[in-house]
Amino acid sequence: MLFLLDYSTFIITGFLITVEVTLIGVGLGLILGILAALGDIFGGRIVKIIVNIYVEFFRGSPLIVQLFIFYFTIPMITGISMDVMVTAILTLALNSGAYQKGYLKGAMEAVFKDQLMAALSLGLPMWKIFLYVVIPQALRIVIPAWSNELASMGKSTTALIVIGVREFLNTGISITAQTFRPLETYAFITITYFIWIYSMLKALDILYNRIKIPGLEPII
Amino acid sequence: MTPLEQITFLLKAVPVTLAISFLSFLLGLGLGVSLAFMRIYGVAPLRYFSDSYEKFFRSVPVLAVMLLLYFGIGPLVPVFKDPFFTSVISLGIVSGANQSQIFRSAIGSVGRTQMLAAISIGLTQLKAMRYVILPQALFLAVPGLGSEIALLIKDSAYSFIIGVIELMKHTDILRASQRSLILPYIASAIIYVVMTFPAATYLDKWGSRKKRELGL
Amino acid sequence: MTSILECQDLTKVYGKVIAVNNVSIGIGRGETKVIFGPSGSGKSTLLRCLGLLEKPTRGSIYFNGVDVYASKQDLNKLRARIGFVFQDPSLFRHLTALGNVMLGLKHVLGLSDAEARRKAHEALKLVKMEDWANYYPSQLSGGQQQRVGIARAISMDPEVVLFDEPTAALDVELKWEVIAVMRDLADRGTTMLVATHELRFAREVADEMIFMDQGQIIEVGSPDHFFTSPNTERAKKFMAKILG
Repeated sequence: MLFLLDYSTFIITGFLITVEVTLIGVGLGLILGILAALGDIFGGRIVKIIVNIYVEFFRGSPLIVQLFIFYFTIPMITGISMDVMVTAILTLALNSGAYQKGYLKGAMEAVFKDQLMAALSLGLPMWKIFLYVVIPQALRIVIPAWSNELASMGKSTTALIVIGVREFLNTGISITAQTFRPLETYAFITITYFIWIYSMLKALDILYNRIKIPGLEPII
Repeated sequence: MTPLEQITFLLKAVPVTLAISFLSFLLGLGLGVSLAFMRIYGVAPLRYFSDSYEKFFRSVPVLAVMLLLYFGIGPLVPVFKDPFFTSVISLGIVSGANQSQIFRSAIGSVGRTQMLAAISIGLTQLKAMRYVILPQALFLAVPGLGSEIALLIKDSAYSFIIGVIELMKHTDILRASQRSLILPYIASAIIYVVMTFPAATYLDKWGSRKKRELGL
Repeated sequence: MTSILECQDLTKVYGKVIAVNNVSIGIGRGETKVIFGPSGSGKSTLLRCLGLLEKPTRGSIYFNGVDVYASKQDLNKLRARIGFVFQDPSLFRHLTALGNVMLGLKHVLGLSDAEARRKAHEALKLVKMEDWANYYPSQLSGGQQQRVGIARAISMDPEVVLFDEPTAALDVELKWEVIAVMRDLADRGTTMLVATHELRFAREVADEMIFMDQGQIIEVGSPDHFFTSPNTERAKKFMAKILG
């Protein structure tokens, strides 16, 4: 496997792109998820329908198809063309948001039900209740589910190959094309993914145990 | 091709997609139940193996496994030169890890007292698993399994990269031959959503209902 | 008279806690014995060890005169011959009352479906639950579930039945139906070892009462003995608390 050292910069760049895209995608997805959850809780009929279509679409179709739609179909319809990376991150964010909405809504509703009376009795307006009471607690509750999403996204970034993003797995394909040693290359890549994702999960697990609020159980 | 013809062409690939999903689900089911059993009742080496397997295959991308098997092992073991076979195996191996986690959690929810009651009437641990624990665990596992099937239907799309002629491949063929960037992708997305919807939604509802009925 | 089930110098330790400390008791054919004492006295642990559901840390258990663990017998076969009724009925949730009783008959005793069904119906009749045969545990009250639990245990024709505080988890008005069934069984000559707080039951049917506290047997005697003049201070105090 030492031959891979020749490609070290190439490999590292690819890996960093994967990590970057994962983190940004899930981060933006979190914001979108919160908005979608709020929309579903407080919105009128139309808002609820839009949110549900959004969620069903992005959760029900493969990421590959979604990437194609945002990279090819939408530019064709609207005439706007976007940079590959922007498209990639946008699609990942939308995809992630749809998944995150589910458990974010559950967490917010659970905390809300508990704390509403108490918060109102203090005279807090609804928006402040959400900002200072509900969301901080909800975020702590969802960490286990969220770390799951992070791992899932890390794995899904491989789909970006189909629109030509030079992420980690793609570097493997290129290297194999040049060195004709697929077994070692792909084995190395697979193991690296494992080390990365497993460490992320472990780190989040430790973080969760440090900051969790005793008595507030996570929503599975 | 008219739009209708295009859609029909896409629909022709649905059986292959469903075949891939179904077969890999079965493989994952066998693996998942065995691994869960190993983890709960096995001797230390088996427990360790099951734990490691689960941790590893839940942390690697399916596509990486697929490429590893197809391009890396294929040259050495001819069976893996067949893309359909390789994609089913890859999806199944990873699904096995996911399903192991689903079953472990379901079996855990059944409760120790049920096992105690089962051995009190003389059932062996094996029989207790078979007649008391597993039947209940199966009900509890249904929602998780529902989303696992949905996941496999979506991930089957990866197999077009190694050349399997399923829905994604048909979509790509349409794009190339019709030079259309709109209908193939949108229609394909909708077909996927229609395929995954029943598994994800109804199984979840059925599972919750059964849970309430059983008083779990 | 040889005992059916007996333990000698039984000790069970959980981590640092000595749940059962050097206990030796036995029960012979047709006898009904009641073990009683404060919560945490080790009654349940003792019963579970006697029922071969938990392995003792030290000491031996004899079934029909044979050392169970030393002779390396098939524990499963023995468990089938020792009936056990739990505090929490622990009925198999996915089976009807009838199904719960039939399971052991079919898959442990190997009876045919028809035979198992017949015996199961008989057992349910004994506990007066035959009309509820097709109901699921979640549809039954606590007392009804417990009666099915008893049916499940006795349907296998065990040589001795162990009861681990069978009425402790039940509401007052549901206790009597279970106690009535237990009294019935005692009258029919079933060999029963019961851990319970229901001292009235003990007074009416027990041949012997055993007082336990903090893992040890403090005093043994007939019901009359305990109800009129116990020997030890602890037994006196406990009886006063319960009866007072």
